[in-house]
Amino acid sequence: MALKFLVVDDSVTMRRIVANSLKAIGYEAFVEAGDGKEALTKLSGDDSINFVITDWNMPEVSGLELVKSIRSTDKFAKLPILMVTTRGLKEDIVEALQARVNNYIVKPFTPQILREKIDQILASA
Amino acid sequence: MENNSNMDQVFEKLGELKSFFIFGQKVVPVIQSIIDFMRDVVPLMEYVNNSIQDSASKIPKAASQINSVTNATELATSEILDIVDAMSMDLSKIKNELADLKNGFFNQRVALESFGNQHPNLNGQFEALLSGLSIDELETKVISLEEIVKKIEGDSNNITLSLQVQDITSQQLASVNHLIQSVQKRLSKLMTDLSRKGPVDVSDLEQDDENTKSATFNPDARYEKTAEKQELANELFNAGQKTSQDEIDKLFAK
Repeated sequence: MALKFLVVDDSVTMRRIVANSLKAIGYEAFVEAGDGKEALTKLSGDDSINFVITDWNMPEVSGLELVKSIRSTDKFAKLPILMVTTRGLKEDIVEALQARVNNYIVKPFTPQILREKIDQILASA
Repeated sequence: MENNSNMDQVFEKLGELKSFFIFGQKVVPVIQSIIDFMRDVVPLMEYVNNSIQDSASKIPKAASQINSVTNATELATSEILDIVDAMSMDLSKIKNELADLKNGFFNQRVALESFGNQHPNLNGQFEALLSGLSIDELETKVISLEEIVKKIEGDSNNITLSLQVQDITSQQLASVNHLIQSVQKRLSKLMTDLSRKGPVDVSDLEQDDENTKSATFNPDARYEKTAEKQELANELFNAGQKTSQDEIDKLFAK
């Protein structure tokens, strides 16, 4: 299955780094959003998006709110979501797990970790 | 009799007056010290007030400078990423060229082998030609170059990893900025409260503290290359994937 990623982060730098890392591990198709609200708009307007990589701390709609919003719809209930964030406390990770994030990366990350997590999510799908 | 009673009242009043004077004598130094205290404190209060106003006026500039630092680092990071992107594209081209060279060497070997098989009686001339071509030597150099390219790719990945520090520090700076703005709000409130009567309303400030929890930055963001936090995430997610959502909710219920 060809993957098309939605990369959500309010930092332009991080969006580029995630995009570059995706390219480095062989994924070329992605779109970007600067916050959760924009992500929801892009997601509802593009049926080819089949993987979401999102930050947590963002304006308008946070990453966690985005995940909850995605999971609340039948259409996106199974959409793979990977959270990439600076939040590494146990309570944060548990909160993400409870919101049904598929996997979790604590920044800073390497392309290898990104590949590992994407592969794990796809294997369990 | 009536005169005596009047005198008693006069003496009683004089007694009260005397007590009042005695009280006055005791109180006057206290009042004097209060006046002295006020004399000392008023300039101090004015100084404090001026300092608060001065500090409050400088805070927007400090906040703006922090934003400038964030913007400058973001720009610099973006420029480095442009260079890394260009390097990656060049490396990709070099890799393709090196792969073509290796294929070329293979094809040349096959062609030479075929030629040698077709012309077995060249009296050692073919062997002499082979040793002069030094294909093996060139191929070793290509393999060595491929290793160097691989190393540069690794270095480029490490640069990308290190550049994530920009996002992490910008979150720390945003947190400091929020703190500064919070101090400014408190100082402004203090200045207002100093000039008005009645109880101090802190509900706005409490709301402000509450908002920090859902802010667009993580005040605890740290640039750490250690795998400790990632390992914790791995552990919790691995455990979570083996359990149902209900069980997860129950397991981590507060």
